[in-house]
Amino acid sequence: MTTRDLVLAALFAAIIVALGLLPPIMLGFIPVPITAQSMGVMLAGVILGARRGTVAVLLVLLLAAIGLPVLSGGRGGLAVFAAPTTGYLIGWVFAAFTTGLIAQRFVKPSQTSLIQTLGFFAAAVAGGVVVLYAFGITYLAFITGIGMSKAFLGSMAFIPGDLVKAVVAALAGRAVMAGYPLLPARA
Amino acid sequence: MNSLYVEGDSFFHRLPPRPKLVLLLLASLALFLTRSPLLLGLAAGAAALLYGSLGIGWRQSWIRLRPILLTIMIVALATLILNSVEDGVTVLLRLTTLMMVAAAVTATVPIGAFIDEVTHAAWPLERLGLVRAADIGLSVGLVIRFVPEVVSRYQQLRQAHQARGLKVRATTMIVPLIIQTLKSADEVAAAIDARGIRGQRQARNLEDSR
Repeated sequence: MTTRDLVLAALFAAIIVALGLLPPIMLGFIPVPITAQSMGVMLAGVILGARRGTVAVLLVLLLAAIGLPVLSGGRGGLAVFAAPTTGYLIGWVFAAFTTGLIAQRFVKPSQTSLIQTLGFFAAAVAGGVVVLYAFGITYLAFITGIGMSKAFLGSMAFIPGDLVKAVVAALAGRAVMAGYPLLPARA
Repeated sequence: MNSLYVEGDSFFHRLPPRPKLVLLLLASLALFLTRSPLLLGLAAGAAALLYGSLGIGWRQSWIRLRPILLTIMIVALATLILNSVEDGVTVLLRLTTLMMVAAAVTATVPIGAFIDEVTHAAWPLERLGLVRAADIGLSVGLVIRFVPEVVSRYQQLRQAHQARGLKVRATTMIVPLIIQTLKSADEVAAAIDARGIRGQRQARNLEDSR
């Protein structure tokens, strides 16, 4: 990894941490408050691509593990990895990787902005919803023994919020690509 | 950014980081080997004693553990309703025990010592050529350094929105925030290489790859 890639990943990790400092917002039609932090994971993949995006997310988790309150709501420390929702944190890494992989494969600077946005949206949903929930739900089912279907139903309430985040991440990813393109990764 | 480390002179504070991390790992495995409420109850009691011995105080402990405790409570309650009382109690005891041991490790290992442990643990990965162990400490330092910067950029952007009578929207805030932040990457990278912080060998590799 070049120094520039390392710095980009570190800067993005700082952005993800900063997004966690924003107060959670309530959207009228969803019963749960949504935080901007998990959108940072989608953004990392969409903007930095698989490798650097994954490193950025790993850095955030590392900071949390060594005892810095970097997760939304000021959470941090090894105790956050002892919660029933730890699967989602582990899933972040794979979510950023999947989002990044799809984004860098299928979104090209030559495409129209609509195609690019749709490509980023698909990437954000595949990583930040499908892969993320696969990890989160499996872990929740394993740790509580309530079974996959009940764990799945319990997590449904958060999916609309994450779809909204995927839309914002796709729009932002497209705009950043137009303003300061980092994909495809420069050597 | 304040770390969750708490100064103190308890037995657990004086224990070096590695045995503490090994203890946490063993606890996380052992807790899932048993379903006996008695054993899990004893473990929870021991973990509570351990956490209590650190001298953090009730109020501070509550503030620290509240968010995680709340999630555990909700999930344990859901398990209790969906499955059985026994399952709910098992989840509650396992996770609170693990939470307290983990929080005890976090409260007694300073960030610097933690980074040393992580760097040490990354050595085998460096042998495989996957990461450079020294990069880990550097990146952690960079993130800690840049978080306040990103936050102040966010506030500037919000003021700029307000000065123009615009509503603060996610899409109009995030894009300039990200572009402004990432644009400093080249300068920061050049500064790191100019100081040879990642070593001369790396700098030459960089030249070769361009």
